[in-house]
Amino acid sequence: MTAITRTALQIRIEAFTFHGEGTPVLSSASVSVTPGSLTAVLGGSGSGKSTLGKLMAGWLRAGHAGAFRGSLELDGTLLEFRGAPDDPRINPAEWSRRVAFVPQDPAAMLSSVRATVAEELAFGLENRATPRDDMLRAVGRTAARIGLSDLLDRDPATLSGGELRRLAVGCAVIAEPDILILDEPLASLDAAGAAQVEDLVRSLRGTGTGVVLLSQAADRLAGEATHWTVLDGGTVTAAGTPAQLSGSAELERAGVIGVRGPGILGPPVSGPAVSGPGVLGPGVTAGARGPGPVPVAAPGPGPAALELHGVGFGYGQDPRRPGTATQARVLRDVDFAVQRGEIIAVTGPNGAGKSTLLRHFNGLLRPSAGDVRVCGRSIAGVPVGTVAASIGLLFQHPRDQLFERTVLREAAFGLRQLFGKAEAEGKARAALAAVGLSGTGEVHPAELSASQQRLLALATVLAREPAVLALDEPTVGLDRHGLEALQAAVVRAAARGAAVVMVTHDLAYARMNAHRVLELTDGRLSEI
Amino acid sequence: MSQPALTVTAPGQAAGRRRRLLEIAGAAAIAATYIFLVLTQPVDIANGPASFSALVALGGFLLGAVLLIVAVLPVLPTSTVVLIPVALVLNVVLGQLMGSTGLPFYLDAIGTVLIAVLAGPAAGAATGALSSIVWSFFNPTVLPFAAGAALIGFLAGMAARGGLFRRFYFAPIAGFVTGILAGVVSAPIAAFVFGGTSGLGTGAIVSAFRAMGDTLLAAITKQALISDPMDKAIVFTIAALLAYALPRRTTFQFPFVRRYRVLAGKAPAAPEA
Amino acid sequence: MKPRLHPFTALTAAASAAVVTTAAAYWPLSVAMALAAVFLAVRRGVAGRVLPAAAVILTPLCLSLLVLHGLFFPEGQTVLARWGPARVTAEGLGFALELGTRTTACVLVFLLFSFAVSVPDLVSALAGRGIPPQFGFVLASTLTLLPAVAVRLDRIRQAQETRGMVVRRGLLSRLGALRLQMVPLVLALIDDAGSRAQALDARGFGSPGPRTSYREVADPPGQRRFRTAALLFATAAVAGRIVASWPAGVPS
Repeated sequence: MTAITRTALQIRIEAFTFHGEGTPVLSSASVSVTPGSLTAVLGGSGSGKSTLGKLMAGWLRAGHAGAFRGSLELDGTLLEFRGAPDDPRINPAEWSRRVAFVPQDPAAMLSSVRATVAEELAFGLENRATPRDDMLRAVGRTAARIGLSDLLDRDPATLSGGELRRLAVGCAVIAEPDILILDEPLASLDAAGAAQVEDLVRSLRGTGTGVVLLSQAADRLAGEATHWTVLDGGTVTAAGTPAQLSGSAELERAGVIGVRGPGILGPPVSGPAVSGPGVLGPGVTAGARGPGPVPVAAPGPGPAALELHGVGFGYGQDPRRPGTATQARVLRDVDFAVQRGEIIAVTGPNGAGKSTLLRHFNGLLRPSAGDVRVCGRSIAGVPVGTVAASIGLLFQHPRDQLFERTVLREAAFGLRQLFGKAEAEGKARAALAAVGLSGTGEVHPAELSASQQRLLALATVLAREPAVLALDEPTVGLDRHGLEALQAAVVRAAARGAAVVMVTHDLAYARMNAHRVLELTDGRLSEI
Repeated sequence: MSQPALTVTAPGQAAGRRRRLLEIAGAAAIAATYIFLVLTQPVDIANGPASFSALVALGGFLLGAVLLIVAVLPVLPTSTVVLIPVALVLNVVLGQLMGSTGLPFYLDAIGTVLIAVLAGPAAGAATGALSSIVWSFFNPTVLPFAAGAALIGFLAGMAARGGLFRRFYFAPIAGFVTGILAGVVSAPIAAFVFGGTSGLGTGAIVSAFRAMGDTLLAAITKQALISDPMDKAIVFTIAALLAYALPRRTTFQFPFVRRYRVLAGKAPAAPEA
Repeated sequence: MKPRLHPFTALTAAASAAVVTTAAAYWPLSVAMALAAVFLAVRRGVAGRVLPAAAVILTPLCLSLLVLHGLFFPEGQTVLARWGPARVTAEGLGFALELGTRTTACVLVFLLFSFAVSVPDLVSALAGRGIPPQFGFVLASTLTLLPAVAVRLDRIRQAQETRGMVVRRGLLSRLGALRLQMVPLVLALIDDAGSRAQALDARGFGSPGPRTSYREVADPPGQRRFRTAALLFATAAVAGRIVASWPAGVPS
């Protein structure tokens, strides 16, 4: 049996509806894949890319996960689905052996029960009763292919973001599938990690594997594709070669980042500003066309909105990892002030302590030296929940911040104490409108797209009208619509007189959207 | 080399019958052990610890729990199997969180009940029994209570199937009844294996009944009838609150929830195709 | 370095020890068994984890036994002291001693096993003996999830304080705060479980049929013989106990 067979996969979707929902997530969409090709499915957040990929790979199955009308054809076998009980049932194990899928979160691919990288790779083979000698050979071969040969004995939980992504791809390709579907394979990777995944994709194509790329950025990898399919609102709105579709209105409407095509994207932003988890794929910044820095509002009367005086901080020994040495000081003697109406960006390499700095603003972390003042008053000894009235902080993971049943309740949470009953709902609705979520008031927050969840988390912060707005990597995971909404909201908050501090490793974005850019290196802040 | 099929057929009936037999055998082992223990309880425990009763209780209840697991586990869909560790972790973590509020209850079955509501009585029973066995890795004293935990999961699933989670006030009532049954079944374990209870508060209640001259089993059963129904009523209420706080796409991915319309007001907007 | 014990050898030894202790019902044996477990825990370098875990479990249990049987034991004859309704009897104290030492021995023996065993070896050994792979999955996955959940709960708490949640004293406020922490936690765990199920199915976990194992666990014949002997000994102890105290009134 060879890896190269004349297999082609085709999916035709009339409609796919999740159980319990009234409207289909996908309708009138079709994609076909030929051996050795690279097909890119491009679409914004919530366009249905992941659902499409999971349907093609048997991760979502007709009848099991939702109602599916349409057809799937693999290697001459045609399966028709009418949404009836006697529809064919896909055997997920066998289907996935030939059409493999790697989810956006690589950790979701792992079994979570294997102690080493080698055993994790072998998990799928064990379940298919592969003899042990074959397994050893396959693990060795695959590890070499994904560049993890030196890490075979490591615990998967200790891998870096890029290594984890390659392990997930390895778990998928160890069974030598004919087709590999990658969901946002470059998300959260630094430039080096992204380049390794790109090389892996090229080598897989070279051996005849058909690759499908699901992405919200028309980045360099997408530029290598033979075919683009644009997905918008669950429907295919355009399909053709990259040359035909670059700069098309459909691509723009779909919210794809870098709409002007791969040609002008250029090399990825390099240097210390791009590294570590949470970095957008290369070239993403090119699509974020902002209005440019706004003029600084006239500094209001009184003290700066936020001041740090000689702040120093170091983490103690990590109690979860006994044996690690006490870390060096993360922050040393940081002096820094933001005026009302000012937008400041803080950049720096991964692990430089950007998020640590941000957590000092509202007292989640307390400085070991120095003082933090908000609107002229020291926050030493003031509970975080109280400081929160003056400082709005947006974290990287919106899911941790959202807990209400509807979007409107979420935005209105805690507003009554601040503004009174009469005004609370109006403030909440205004904040939702400011981030472009007006129509979603009664939706469950968890049913929003990833991009919208981040915007909702931003709205919950904006609704409180804090004097200082602190944003941790606000651009990560946003599609183009989301980036535009973020920029508009930040500019408006500054115009209202709020001080804005963004932490981002995206230097180009920082330069384009902030009045001042500071760099955090070796625990010190310096203007660049 | 023949290629395995890309599609599968619906599961047959023959395997189902064997599984049903194992389930019945498991339930029978638990019931028989309980009856045997009550009938033969040592009249005079002053002659020494009830070693014989302890062995019978341990052996019978564990055998029942293991039979139930063997019957149910291999046929549970993967989507349910992955929920069992989640349930176990929730039992522990939410139990600890609730403990931090200072309420005098154990509240250590929230995860089991939640999974039973989402995935049905068989999954609930397996979750209860398995979480006891896995948790005994850290606390061996919970191992003997596996049968009681399986009963709680099973009854919670039955209550969900019967629609008791559609009306909010029914959930605590279902929990109350479950607590009575589970408390009575677990009492012999507490009495014969441990000779008392693990907490000082519950120990005080048992002491009070002992002071009135009750036998140890009677005193512990009465104590269980005081603590457990209230505890399970709260647990069922919290599980219902959590189930209703989840988005519809999450709850409706469970065939059990769709088939028995477990949760109120959550019918799809359009009829399913 | 000592040769590694096969996980089943350790499990059999622990279970047999617990069964024999329970069947014997002789407190000096229980104490000896507990001391042996402590000794082995120190030898294997896990005493630092076994002893605190055991203390958390055993302290309330033993105190409860002491209060319950020490003060209230209506069956007791030899009254040592009396305050109102409470009577300290020799039989009650003896009963508390018997049960306390027995439980202590069993808890220590099992904790020694769980802290000393290599979980991956155990999971692999279980799968190799025809135990449904789901069982090993539940065991190992729980051990992976527990620390991850603690980290996640901490993140949720931080995010919510940042949104202005101040936890006040008073039951209602704390319960309200608790609800807000639980919802994102439960939702994230169930969502993650959903995608993990899809991944596991895709990797053949849900399929019936035989499996192989990548990890090899050595099982020397000597250990197999030891397991057989330990099981026979435990069975004999149980049989002896049943014969000795088959309750009157039950036809045998």
